[in-house]
Amino acid sequence: MTPSHFAFTSAFMLGLTGLALHRYHLLSALLCLEGMMLSLFIALSLWTLQLDSTCFSASPMLLLAFSACEASAGLALLVATARTHGTDHLQSLNLLQC
Amino acid sequence: MCFIMYLILFCFVLGLVAVASNPSPYFAALGLVVVAGMGCGVLVGHGGPFLSLVLFLIYLGGMLVVFAYSAALAAEPYPEAWGSWPVVVHMVVYMVGVVLAFVVFGGVWYEFSWVSVDELGEFSVFRGDVGGVALMYSSGGWMLIISGWVLLLTLFVVLELTRGLSRGALRAV
Repeated sequence: MTPSHFAFTSAFMLGLTGLALHRYHLLSALLCLEGMMLSLFIALSLWTLQLDSTCFSASPMLLLAFSACEASAGLALLVATARTHGTDHLQSLNLLQC
Repeated sequence: MCFIMYLILFCFVLGLVAVASNPSPYFAALGLVVVAGMGCGVLVGHGGPFLSLVLFLIYLGGMLVVFAYSAALAAEPYPEAWGSWPVVVHMVVYMVGVVLAFVVFGGVWYEFSWVSVDELGEFSVFRGDVGGVALMYSSGGWMLIISGWVLLLTLFVVLELTRGLSRGALRAV
């Protein structure tokens, strides 16, 4: 694997691992999700630039727009959680606990 | 030049290791800023200055600023930086994992085995990604309209989530 492909692939895998193994804060999970979106942006842009398919360079822009939508929805959920539970600690989200 | 690109890619992965090891959100946002900066360097080195500037403006200047002030919701008196024990364990495990993955998947690539090739016709300042993004306004006009509609719907989603039902929207938090 070329170094640039390895870099964004391992960045995506690291963000996915950080999202799966988050510990205390909901916001750190959202930040790992943003890291995954960033690695996808780099991946699509490198695809465009390395294969000289410049028609494809609209897709990283659209990915960025939709990733902004997703980040704002995640942050609104964070604000709603902090308002009802007082904090964004994941231990306090235990309404479904038996 | 290829050494600089190698260094930038290494700092890209290192910054994301710092984010994925889940320190306090202040420090994770700082790591994400570093990752975005290094990503811009990668794109510039491959000949895409417009996409790099878009990443800087929209991602760093728009989204990460919002994350930075939302980190005030996650405030705690003693934030866990990259020196505390669980964070260090996570970081070491992720770095070892990345090195092992490079040993397995790296193949024959080493530092001086690849060069960045950049083409431009007789000192023109017109780049491929600039022309490609301009297609979003001509042939991809419907996608632009759909994206605008999606952004408007997301605004309504966010307003509904933070409405607070009967308790009202103007509260201390």
